[in-house]
Amino acid sequence: MKWLLKIVEAVRPTFEEGGKLRTFKPIFEALEHFLFSPSTRTLGAPHVRDPMDLKRFMSMAIISVVPCAFAALYFFGWRFLAMVVVSYAAGLTVEAAFAIVRKEGINEGFFVTGILFPLIMPPNLPLWMVGLGVAFGVLIGKELFGGTGRNVFNPALVGRCFLALAYPKAMSQSYIEPSGDLLGCLLFKWLPSGSGVDAVTVATPLSAAKGGVMASTSHMLLGSISGSAGETSAILIILGGVFLLFTRVANWRTVVSILGSFIILTAALIASGATKVGIDGLCGPVVWHLFAGGLLFGAFFMATDPVTSPTTNPGKWIYGMIIGTVTVLIRNFTGYVEGVTFAILLGNIIAPILDEAIIEVRIRRLRSEG
Amino acid sequence: MAENKQSACVTCQPAGLCGGKGLLTLKDGAWRNNPLAIQVLGICSALAVTSRLENSLVMGAALIFVCVGSNLIVSLLRKRTPHRIRMIAEVAIIATFVIFFDQFLKAFYWDMSKQLGPYVGLIITNCIVMGRAEAFALQNPPIVSMVDGLANGIGYAVVLAIIGFFRELLGTGEIFGHQVLSSQWYTPNQLMILAPGAFFALGIVIGIFNALKGPEPQEKK
Repeated sequence: MKWLLKIVEAVRPTFEEGGKLRTFKPIFEALEHFLFSPSTRTLGAPHVRDPMDLKRFMSMAIISVVPCAFAALYFFGWRFLAMVVVSYAAGLTVEAAFAIVRKEGINEGFFVTGILFPLIMPPNLPLWMVGLGVAFGVLIGKELFGGTGRNVFNPALVGRCFLALAYPKAMSQSYIEPSGDLLGCLLFKWLPSGSGVDAVTVATPLSAAKGGVMASTSHMLLGSISGSAGETSAILIILGGVFLLFTRVANWRTVVSILGSFIILTAALIASGATKVGIDGLCGPVVWHLFAGGLLFGAFFMATDPVTSPTTNPGKWIYGMIIGTVTVLIRNFTGYVEGVTFAILLGNIIAPILDEAIIEVRIRRLRSEG
Repeated sequence: MAENKQSACVTCQPAGLCGGKGLLTLKDGAWRNNPLAIQVLGICSALAVTSRLENSLVMGAALIFVCVGSNLIVSLLRKRTPHRIRMIAEVAIIATFVIFFDQFLKAFYWDMSKQLGPYVGLIITNCIVMGRAEAFALQNPPIVSMVDGLANGIGYAVVLAIIGFFRELLGTGEIFGHQVLSSQWYTPNQLMILAPGAFFALGIVIGIFNALKGPEPQEKK
C-alpha cells in the first residue's frame, strides 16, 4: 500500500493551510482516515472514562441492522444495494458541503442514517426519490439544526415523512411481493419479479387488512411479506434490537415503554371491539399488530436514537408511551394505515420538553428538601 | 431586538429630514427591512395564499394598494387624529381600503375572489399595514408615507411572488396554470402545495434574504 500512502502524502500540502484546495480539507481528511490511521497523535494523556465513543456507538448501530439489510437483499433483490449506495452518496454530498462551509471534519453521524434510510423505504421506490429523501432529511432534519448531536428530529424519519407527503402515490405503489424462492434473490436478482417499472404493486399487511385480507403471523415473523425493505422480518429486527440493548446503545426503557403501551392499548381496543382484526382471540391479533408495519423497527432502531430521545429515565418512559399511543391511534382511527413515522417524529418534538420538565421537577424537590 | 431598534431609528427620523429620502425609504422597506423576510410579519397570509403564483400576485397587489392608501390617509390626518383613538382611526381607514379592494375583486374577478376566500378581508388585521401606519405614517408627511407604504407593499409582494412561483412550479409543474415542467419526467412534489411546503419555502426564503443581507451592523457608540 506504499504507493497509496505516497499519493496521500503528495497531495496533502494542497489541502493544508495555504494550499489551493484547502476548502476541501474535510473531504481529504475523511478519505485519508478511511484509508489510513490518521497521522496526527494526541498530545498529553487522554481522559477516557468509557471506551464508548461516537464512532463505536455508530458501529454498533450499523452492526445491529446488518441482519435486516441482508433480509432486504434476500427478499427484495439487489436493487436494495443500489438504494443503499444512492442513500450514502446523496447524504454524504450534503454532509460534505456543510463540513466544507463550517470548516469541520465529516463525522460518523451520517453512517447510521445512510443505512437506516433505505431500510424504511418501499423496495421499488425510484432511486432519485431515495436520494432526494435522504438529502432532505440530512439538510432540513439535521444540518440546519447544527449537525450531528444537535438535531431535534431523526433525519431518516424526516426524509421518509417528506417523501410520504410529497409523493404519496409513488410511496404506496412501490411495495412489492417478496421473493418466494428458497435462495431468495441472493443469486443476483435485481428484483424478485418484473424488471422495475412493471413490478407488481402489493399491499402491505396493514393496508391489506383494511380490505379484510390478513397476512399470516408466521410469514410476518420470518419476513416474507410486502413492506418497507428492512421492516418485514420481525425475528431479525428483534435479533438486532436485542443486540443493541445488550451493548447499551439503545435504552431498554424506551423500547419497553413503546411496545408495552402499544400492546396494552391494542389489546384494550380489540377486547372492547373498537377495532376489528380478522383473527379470533386476543393474543393472536395483538401479536399480529405488533409484527405488522414498522413498529418493531421504529421502536428498536429509530426511537432509541440517543440524540433525539430524552436523556432522563422518566422522560424515556413518557416518550415511549407517547409513541406507542400515537401509533395505535393513527393505525386505528385515521386514514393512514401506519403511523410509526409520525408517532416517533411527534415524540422527538416532545423529548426536549420532557427533559426540561423532569429536571425542573427534580430541582424543585431537592430545594424543598433543603 | 437589534432589528427593532434599527427600524425604529430609521422610521422615527424627524419629518423634515425624510423629504429627500424617498429612495432610501423605498430600499429600506423593500429590502433591508423587508416586512416578510426580515421582520417576519404577516406570514399568515403568505402561507395561506401562495400555493399558486396568480393568487400570490393578486394578494401582493392588494397589500400594495391598501398599504399606500392607508399610509396616505393616516399621514394626512396625523395632526388631527387624537392620540388616544389613533388605533381605531387607523383600523377604520385600513378597513375602508380593504373593503374597497374586496368589492372590486368580487365585481370584476369573481373566481379569484373565491380562491382567495377570507384572506383579502383579513388584510385589515395584517401586521404590516397596521405597523406601517403606526410606525411611519403617523410621524411623516403624506408623500414619504406613500413611498413607505409602496416599499413595504412591494417587499411583501416580491416575497409572496417568489414563494408562489416555486410552490406552483414544484408542486404542480405549472406556472399560471400552464404546464412548464413536462409530466413525462417531472413528478409533482405534492408537499409544496400543502401547508408544510409553505413553511419550508418561507423558511428558506427568509434564510436566503438574511444570508444576502449579511450580519446586522454593530451599533456604533
